Amino acid sequence: MEGSQNEDRQCWRCGAGVGTGLVCPGCEAPQPPPDGDLFAVLGLPRRLAVDGEDLERRYHAASRALHPDRHQTAEPHARQLSERASAALNRAYRTLRDPVARGRYWLELHGNPLHRENKEIPPALATDVFETQEKLEELRTKATPALHDEVRHVHDALVARLVGLEAELSRLYAGANGNGMVDELKRRLSEIAYLRTLLGDIEAALGEVSGAHSRH
Amino acid sequence: MERIVGIDLGTTNSLVAVLEDGGPRVLVDPETGAHLLPSAVAFLADGEMVVGARARELAPDHPFETILSVKRFMGLGFEHVSDDDRRRYRFAEGREGVVRFAVGGRAVTPPEVSAHILRELKRWAERALGGTVAKAVITVPAYFNDSQRQATKDAGRLAGLEVLRLVNEPTAAALAYGLDRADEGTVAVYDLGGGTFDVSILKLRGGIFEVLATNGDTRLGGDDLDGRLAEVVLAELPRELAAQPSVRARARAAAERAKRDLSAAERTEVVLDLPEVGRHARAPITRSDFERLIRDIVQRTVVPCRQALKDAGIDPRDIREVVAVGGSTRVPLVRRLMAEIFGRPPLVDIDPDEVVALGAGIQAGILSGGRRDMLLLDVVPLSLGIETMGGVFTRLIDRNTTIPASVKETFTTAVDGQTVVDVHVLQGERELAADNRSLARFKIPIAPMPAGVPRLEVTFLVDANGILSVAASDLRTGLERSVEVKPSYGLTEDEMERMLEESIDHAEDDVRERQLREARVETDVILGATRQSLVAHGRLLAAGERERIDAAVSALDAARAGEDYVAIRDAIESLSQTTEPFARRIMDESLQEALGNRRLEEL
Repeated sequence: MEGSQNEDRQCWRCGAGVGTGLVCPGCEAPQPPPDGDLFAVLGLPRRLAVDGEDLERRYHAASRALHPDRHQTAEPHARQLSERASAALNRAYRTLRDPVARGRYWLELHGNPLHRENKEIPPALATDVFETQEKLEELRTKATPALHDEVRHVHDALVARLVGLEAELSRLYAGANGNGMVDELKRRLSEIAYLRTLLGDIEAALGEVSGAHSRH
Repeated sequence: MERIVGIDLGTTNSLVAVLEDGGPRVLVDPETGAHLLPSAVAFLADGEMVVGARARELAPDHPFETILSVKRFMGLGFEHVSDDDRRRYRFAEGREGVVRFAVGGRAVTPPEVSAHILRELKRWAERALGGTVAKAVITVPAYFNDSQRQATKDAGRLAGLEVLRLVNEPTAAALAYGLDRADEGTVAVYDLGGGTFDVSILKLRGGIFEVLATNGDTRLGGDDLDGRLAEVVLAELPRELAAQPSVRARARAAAERAKRDLSAAERTEVVLDLPEVGRHARAPITRSDFERLIRDIVQRTVVPCRQALKDAGIDPRDIREVVAVGGSTRVPLVRRLMAEIFGRPPLVDIDPDEVVALGAGIQAGILSGGRRDMLLLDVVPLSLGIETMGGVFTRLIDRNTTIPASVKETFTTAVDGQTVVDVHVLQGERELAADNRSLARFKIPIAPMPAGVPRLEVTFLVDANGILSVAASDLRTGLERSVEVKPSYGLTEDEMERMLEESIDHAEDDVRERQLREARVETDVILGATRQSLVAHGRLLAAGERERIDAAVSALDAARAGEDYVAIRDAIESLSQTTEPFARRIMDESLQEALGNRRLEEL
């Protein structure tokens, strides 16, 4: 079957050895995405610390080789593979470039997923969350400019908090040495996830555009 | 070499361009030398059909028979038609499915109307290039949903064009600007056309144009500005007269002229001549009057811009350049607003009417392998998902995900003996399925079993055109399952086939096209089999045989790339002859193996 053993994979078109490559080094035909994880798609080891610049370089280089625009004149099978493999590449990049998504994915790979349905408020955020929700409730009943400003202020403070948490996450990744940190990682990720949702709620209440506390 | 053209299929005007050694070039009307083809199609009572500038001139006298902004109706259903639309056009009876215009005693769908525009551009291109043009890249608003994109692709097919790629208009514009600049950094493209508004935030790096986020409004554009201005002059007329469709059409044309004047002049007049009723109306207007009149419309572009910046995670201060696209960006108020949102004046060095077509021409060059230094990485503009229990919309692919994108979901059955799994796919950002745009229902057959036992894996794939396809496989048997697609507001495959057959004047092309398609399919089968045999049984090759087979394979590859199905058939025949001895040896060997096994069994 396709790619069951990555090391001795052969190009479906010309038979050359392709290993874990995304395209054939001989005839440039796109190959089925290699088995294994999203790190492997970008040729990276399964490590939490990822250099953003390096990640982007790998993604761009792989896109240049794989993108359907590059295989427009090829036979249907090659075009189909180029689509499938590009989709896998895009998913890998989207997951790995965001430290939080990467952390969640890493936990999944290690059989210890963070449950999405966990609605429990992280203890470290409890006070902020209650205060914010009270303010939002007030804003919904009487939307005075003063209250609006106050919520805006809370929002900005929470954004600063989020930035801080994300910086701590990077530090955690840089010093990561395996399973000893799973609990701390889970705690940090829950806090960030919770804070992002809370910020989304505040923005919705302020009537602003929302979303995208997940980039950078 | 076979030419691929780039087409800007606009709300108001359409253009066609190609990439040449010196850069992209807009191709012109062979008779008049015009660059722009007005996107107008008139269906006259005698069955005559007129496209372009003459059709637009016919609009005041045939307001219901002349479709002026067909793009606004692409991919829509009857329930999306507004009261204002009903004042401008007549629609065929119908409650559900794709919208149909009632023109000249016929019911015509938007893709059919657009196909007439595309056919005319195809003719321009064929005259300019001196050969058949059968392949194209067509631009669409970035914020077009799946149905609108599919409708555009259908229009291409009806016009006898193979649509190799749909490119988002702002991305195409960025490509046209990026061509001459070795720029790196983040740019914003603000595209206010005749009927649609798009904004895209892109990151440029080493020839890669990566879209970070896009947003927009597919029913907002220069048409709306004309409408407001038209009301000013219509107010000068008695009510019954002002309500007449032909008078309204003329008022719109007059308003459009006045709007143009006001981009340069401080004051002008909207002049409406109605000699047949002996009336003449004029309304003087200053630029600031005009700006007061349209401010709320222009203001509607602000939120999409902010949302795109936010989704991209980009602060306006980090935007290096802002590109103005679309005729409506000539309006001074629009330019001031752009500068306000992005903190810098927009770039306008390429004609905003041509920049999208030029970009489409470049993308055509990229697809034909002519520009390997540039690559577009675009995104899906709106989240895609399915309807789940209780009418909830479950997102599968988030907006601004880079395409191609795919996601797999496992489905099972709810009742014993269920034989079909019905998947309802929608697109949008709202929480409830009913609030989002229905795209299609996919019916997937499944072997009857107790509820909950079947396991069906469904793969949703958004291709590089932003168009969704669905594939399914039965996880218990490993077998692929067919998927029957029922588009909510599109043409079914059967309808497409019928329309293609109905286009009698293209009957001959159609036959040729089908022969060609069949020959190509056969080619792919034979090439695949040959390559597989070469890998699996390479050791059975005689001396020099590999070279002969390779030569025949390349000859067939070359023929496949051409348009001549007879040549393809000949090349297939010649490859079969060349591989015949090799195939016989493979057969002999497997026979021998089979016999050998039997003997072992017999022992």
